[in-house]
Amino acid sequence: MDLELKEMLAAVQKPARYIGGEPGMITKTVSDMGARFAFCFPDLYEIGMSHLGMKILYGLLNSLPDVACERVFMPEKDMIEQMRLHGRTLWSLESMRPVKEFDIVGFTLQYEMSFVTTLKMLKLADIPLRSADRSESDPLLVAGGPCVCNPEPLAPFFDLFFLGEGEEQMAEFMAFFKEEKRKGTPRQELLRKATAIGGVYVPSFYTPEYHEDGTIRAIRHEPFAPEKITRRIVKDMDKAYYPESFVVPFIEIVHDRTVAEVMRGCVRGCRFCQAGFIYRPLREKTPETINRQAKALCDNTGYDEISLASLSTSDLSGIVPLLEELIDWTKDEKINVALPSLRVDNFSKELLDKITSVRKSSLTFAPEAGTQRLRDAINKNVTDEDIDRTVRIAFEGGYTAIKLYFMLGLPTETDEDLKGIIDIAQRILGIFSHTENRPAGKGVTVTVSVSTFVPKPFTPFEFEPQITTEEIKRRQELLYSQNNSRKIVIKCHDKGTSYLEAVLARGDRRLADLLEMLADREDAFFETCEHPNEAAWEECFQALSVDPSFYAHRTRPYDEIMPWDHLDYGISKSFLIRENKRAHESKTTPDCRGGCAACGANRLKGGRCFD
Amino acid sequence: MIDIRLGFSKTDRAAYISHLDCNRLFQRAFKRSGLPVWYTQGFNPHVYLTFPLPLSLGTESLCETVDFRLTEETPMGQVLDRLNEVLPEGVRALWAAPPVYSADKIASAQYEIRLYPKDSLPDALASARQTLEKPQLLVEKKTKKGMKQVDLKQHLSDVTLTQEGDCILLVLTLPAGSRLNINPSLVAGALNPPATGPFRFFTIRRTAILTDSGEMFR
Repeated sequence: MDLELKEMLAAVQKPARYIGGEPGMITKTVSDMGARFAFCFPDLYEIGMSHLGMKILYGLLNSLPDVACERVFMPEKDMIEQMRLHGRTLWSLESMRPVKEFDIVGFTLQYEMSFVTTLKMLKLADIPLRSADRSESDPLLVAGGPCVCNPEPLAPFFDLFFLGEGEEQMAEFMAFFKEEKRKGTPRQELLRKATAIGGVYVPSFYTPEYHEDGTIRAIRHEPFAPEKITRRIVKDMDKAYYPESFVVPFIEIVHDRTVAEVMRGCVRGCRFCQAGFIYRPLREKTPETINRQAKALCDNTGYDEISLASLSTSDLSGIVPLLEELIDWTKDEKINVALPSLRVDNFSKELLDKITSVRKSSLTFAPEAGTQRLRDAINKNVTDEDIDRTVRIAFEGGYTAIKLYFMLGLPTETDEDLKGIIDIAQRILGIFSHTENRPAGKGVTVTVSVSTFVPKPFTPFEFEPQITTEEIKRRQELLYSQNNSRKIVIKCHDKGTSYLEAVLARGDRRLADLLEMLADREDAFFETCEHPNEAAWEECFQALSVDPSFYAHRTRPYDEIMPWDHLDYGISKSFLIRENKRAHESKTTPDCRGGCAACGANRLKGGRCFD
Repeated sequence: MIDIRLGFSKTDRAAYISHLDCNRLFQRAFKRSGLPVWYTQGFNPHVYLTFPLPLSLGTESLCETVDFRLTEETPMGQVLDRLNEVLPEGVRALWAAPPVYSADKIASAQYEIRLYPKDSLPDALASARQTLEKPQLLVEKKTKKGMKQVDLKQHLSDVTLTQEGDCILLVLTLPAGSRLNINPSLVAGALNPPATGPFRFFTIRRTAILTDSGEMFR
């Protein structure tokens, strides 16, 4: 480590964020014909290092011959200041090489609010932002992740996007890239050839045209590029690559534990949930695979906690036998098993006993809406009885804290639905006091955590307007005013984020200038990207004559061409329209196991989802 | 149950692992090593570990120690090998043996401070020498009860000041341990007052931990 870097590290908080060297880090050297891949996560180290997708792709890329993958995160403000003082550009944690010296710079786009950070990182790396301004000697700029289902606001900056799951696609792409590098293929020619790889979207080959009113008239494409780009998926999760070790950070990160991914996709079809649609169809791992992978990870990382991750872990068909196998060895090795994303409609005493063999803390559930009518409209198939039964089991099992997630501003929501949220919390307090063998001498708390609904592409609510900022405020205040118990704690999480998220989520290429302008400003965010400076954003909207309401607050007709209509995620438009209509009639749709609703995603897998 | 003290070094990148993070690092390293270590018996069992003398963030050390317990006789060579296999770059297990002294016997520690001048090295050296020769060296020290004034001069011993390449090397011994602990960065700070000081930057390395009778802490 050079002296200048030591000087910089002495001046910042948590210097361990910037130096790598953690157990499990992979340092590889590659030949001149090999490929160096800088994997960038547009957020702080603690956040990015918690992300499972990055761990999978880091291991996968480094397992490929003559490919080295290194990690890059967004530095905190104090380090950015040091970089400016010392004239140093962004570096990778493994070899501490400047990011601009890599062959490929790849970003994972996990949330819309990180788009600005993405551009800020490129600036810190001294890489020209726009594809058109980059030369042959600059890195190829690529991105993947859930936000790539509508990457249009970032289209002018990236050379290509990877649609879907990287496990197969990245191996194929890296082999292709090394071959073209060896041949010295020019950038444009390389991109042209890359369109033949499934799931590769080169945005510069597609051009949207607009109507007078600002909506899209058509999306033109170059004759050699496919009309639609179809998302790639892993067909058999048991055969897919999964890392045997993780990089184990020195500093505490948000999710500091081993993660065993148990399945991909979700059968539920909650109409607000983008993840529930864009990861379809459901693909489970067998309990044997999960157990084997979990064991290897615990042995190699030394973590004392393992989390069974998926969109809805209690929906895993083999959950009980799996837990039995896990408890077998985790107990002896003093490893705690955590089950995130539990549902109230299939929560059992058996499950509870399994997860609480080591420690008891609070339990979290997500009813999402306060009345049966609204829960039906959003297709969250959870009943009041489910909720009551679940909390009773939890209280009898020794829990005294319940956390409930709700959403505010859902389509068709009324004040009655909001009052229903408080009614549920009140009822839970009542159940506690009527539980005979409740924990003695302990008070109960019900935390009601309320986020604001953001309409997302590829969901049945992609046509829906978001409620205005004033209306969000009114409904939040209504919620607070309804609560008269100190045992109920209401937390509304929205510091203006959801409105800006709504603008970007369904944005188009005309927002690229806005993102660039925001990336130039020091004051686009207060602390993290979860806390945007609305005044700064408003100034940029005005300077560029962008009407944010056009994106966030407008009802989009069923026949409008969406900015992402040339991207195929398996889900058909007709299914989304059908589901949207059912929402307005407060009609539910059974989950995938209960009956196929013909969303279209099965064609990605080939054949039926369930036998 | 066998009490063991492990001696280790913490250099280069590893200097930026904080004390709390170092504890977690060893928790996981012991787990990965598969050594038969003793776990605390509470509701939330973890590997029993104590660090006799914590090290400040950013400071290198050639002489750190951590105490743990083995539940089975294990050759010390094997303890070292298995730990070194799983410890990260910059952290090396150097020796392992049953503890000779209890932690409260720690009285002082030896440090190397390297100060890098802003401009002229001879001027900076002269300035440092002048400061060290003052009859008093008053600094503010943070204690549990708030800020307290300390005269460093009374606590410095075995001081040498030399030139080493493009920096100045200050070697000194300071009180350490639970009774009185003087952080070497206080000395570096006294030689380099904010903004006006002659140095742009300094590094610190701990080279020895000593008992009240002047023995190496083992």
